Parts: sequence; C-alpha cells; structure tokens
Amino acid sequence: MTQGVLDVDDTNFESQILKADKPALVDFWAPWCGPCKAIAPVITELEKAYGDRIIFARCNVDTSPNTPTQYSIRAIPTLILFQNGKVVDQIVGAVPKSHLEEAVKKIL
Amino acid sequence: MTQDLYDVAIIGCGPAGLQAAIHAASKKAKVIVFGKPTKSSLYKAHIANFCCYEKPISGKDILEAGRKQAESFDAVFLEEDIVKTKKENNLFSLVTESGETFTSRSLLLCMGIARKKLRVKGEKKFEGRGVSYCVDCDANFYKGLDVAVVGNESAAATGALTLLLYAKTVYLICRKLMISDMLYEELKNSQVKIIQDTWVKEIFGTNEVEGILLKNDNTLKVNGIFVELGAKGAMELAANLGVAFDPETFSHVETNRKQETNIPGLYAAGDITGQPWQIAKAVGEGCIAGIEAAEYAKKLANR
Repeated sequence: MTQGVLDVDDTNFESQILKADKPALVDFWAPWCGPCKAIAPVITELEKAYGDRIIFARCNVDTSPNTPTQYSIRAIPTLILFQNGKVVDQIVGAVPKSHLEEAVKKIL
Repeated sequence: MTQDLYDVAIIGCGPAGLQAAIHAASKKAKVIVFGKPTKSSLYKAHIANFCCYEKPISGKDILEAGRKQAESFDAVFLEEDIVKTKKENNLFSLVTESGETFTSRSLLLCMGIARKKLRVKGEKKFEGRGVSYCVDCDANFYKGLDVAVVGNESAAATGALTLLLYAKTVYLICRKLMISDMLYEELKNSQVKIIQDTWVKEIFGTNEVEGILLKNDNTLKVNGIFVELGAKGAMELAANLGVAFDPETFSHVETNRKQETNIPGLYAAGDITGQPWQIAKAVGEGCIAGIEAAEYAKKLANR
C-alpha cells in the first residue's frame, strides 16, 4: 500500500518536497483545467506503482500561486521531478503515460 | 437565455453525429445537433470505400443528405460551436459561441479530432514557456502581460475574450474569422486587437517567448501565444466533466460497446473514439450511441 497522491501548497512545499528524503514528482494543476483532469488518473496509477520510492504530490496553482511562479510555470498541467531539492525534469502538458513512466524511472 | 430541455444533444455533425441524430430522433427523442458541416473531415473528401456506394461520392453531398434525413425525423440543427459544457443534477448544459445555453438529458461527443499545433519555428521550444494550447488553463499566468491568440474560429475568438480579463493587451491573429455574427459583434466591440489576413510564421525569444513574427513580416512583442485552432475539442469540453481519455495520446475518449463513456449519459462516437478514421465506423458507432442515448434519456425522464 502506498500513501496516495499528496496535496502540497505554498506553506509546506519546502518541507514536503524540497527537503524530502525521497525524490518527488509534483503535478501543478487547477480545477478549471481540462487536461489536468485528464492526466490525474495516470498520476494516481504511477503512484500505485512507484509510490513506495517516489513522493507523488499535486499543487493547486490557484490556491498556491507562489510555488508555480518560482518555477516559471506558464502552463498547466506541468509536472516537475525533484531530487535533493533540485529540478531534474520538467514536463508540460498531457503527455503519454509511457513518457511519464520513463521520466519517473530515471529518478528511482 | 435558457431553451427547452432536449433528450439528446449532439456535438458535431459529421457522419457519427448525423447517424446518431437519425436513430435518436426516429425513437422520438428530442434531438439537437451542434456544429458546422464544413468542419467535418468528410466535407472535402470523396468516399470510395463506403459500402453500397459503388462510385465515389462527395462528402459534402453525404453530409447534406444526412442532415435532411435527420431533420425529417424532427432533429434540430444549429450551426454553432459549443464553447462550454457542464453537468448538473443529471442534466448537461451547453453554451454556444453566441452565448446561448441549451440543456439536455444526454450528450454525444461526435466532434472528431482536430490538429492543435501550429507547426512553426519556436513552437515546440517554448511550449510551457509562453506557448499555450489552453486559454482556460493558462490565462491566469498572463496577468498584466501582452498576449496573442492565433486561430480563425470560435476557440480563438472566445479565448481572446477570456484573456481580456487577465492580460494587458490581447491580439487575435487570424486568416479570416469564421464565427457566429453574435460572437463577431462581441469581439468587435471588445478591446481585442484583431489582426486579419495573416498568420504566425515564427515564435521567438531566449528563455521565454518574447514575440512573434507574422507572415506579413510584422513582428509583435508578446509574452505569450495561445494556439486555439478550430472549435473546442473533447479535451477542452469534456475533460471538465471527468471523461476518461486513452492514457497514451489523450486524444481519444474511451467508450464501451454501447458507446458509453465513464460518465452516465455521456456518449462518444466517430473519430473521437480512435482509429480507424472511417465513415463506416463513424456511422456504426453513431447508430449505437443515438439509440443508447435516446433510451437513457427516456429512463431519466420517467424517473
């Protein structure tokens, strides 16, 4: 059993993601964004498969505007993979599951 | 303005939408079909592989005949794009490009699939750094900035109007606008700066988009460019309803053998459900979707 996709925000982004002892994938999304809804099930599936080794989180850009600004996010969904507090990969848009899985495997 | 309640609303009037309309209306369901026949991929095609038609037939002729046939069963046609959908209390509400709202017990997605990319220099490089394909998703990131929208149809026009609420300057770059008169009036009376008879040649910048070069050799300094070709597709219209897409391309809506999606009352038929992109498959799926949607609507009405 994995813990599920974690909700993070401007207040706990540093502690939960940047200072985490595991690599993390953060899905920047908003409720009005169709493509974000479309990829959400894919993130959930990947979490089930790799959630024991990687943190899967989502950050609502509507309620947490500072974090997306910090990473120059101009489009959602944007997925950022972090390792030791640093960005290792940034993926924009609803990309194929296979593409996402490859990116996730690289930080295992 | 709110209209009557329909049993079956169909987005798209290609072969899948027409066949669905014929079957649903012949079952006495109250049917309305939205969309523009000229936008069907069939419109300019000649068909030589459709059963029972030995000689090549024109797509335009098929579409016109199908519409007359559906109208003979009392299906209503409205040549407008849908720009918004919602589901509330088991009913779907649809907003047209002219701003009218329609309500229906069931909804059929038959709008096919469309090309979304411009295919110009700089587009791929700046994706997510100034190039966007979704006004509704990304308008918020352009507060107080200058942006351009490119496209000739309802998605571009409504997108430009939405961006006015966020951006400082909004340009609309188009070859020729193909939108409803009401939407055109709204656009003309707005602050959107319309640049007609041209197109985007190149998107430039260093780390982020700094501007675009037009075919007429003018340049525009913008922070962002929104590519909004054609009418809104399934991703823009139905993803908000929670419809499931295929996880590899996100362009096909997943359906079962009854053409049902994962959302009750929401059906899909034709190119939008995946390959083969053939008229025969579209009418087959349209037939099933039309019958199923009409039955669903009847059950819902009798509840």
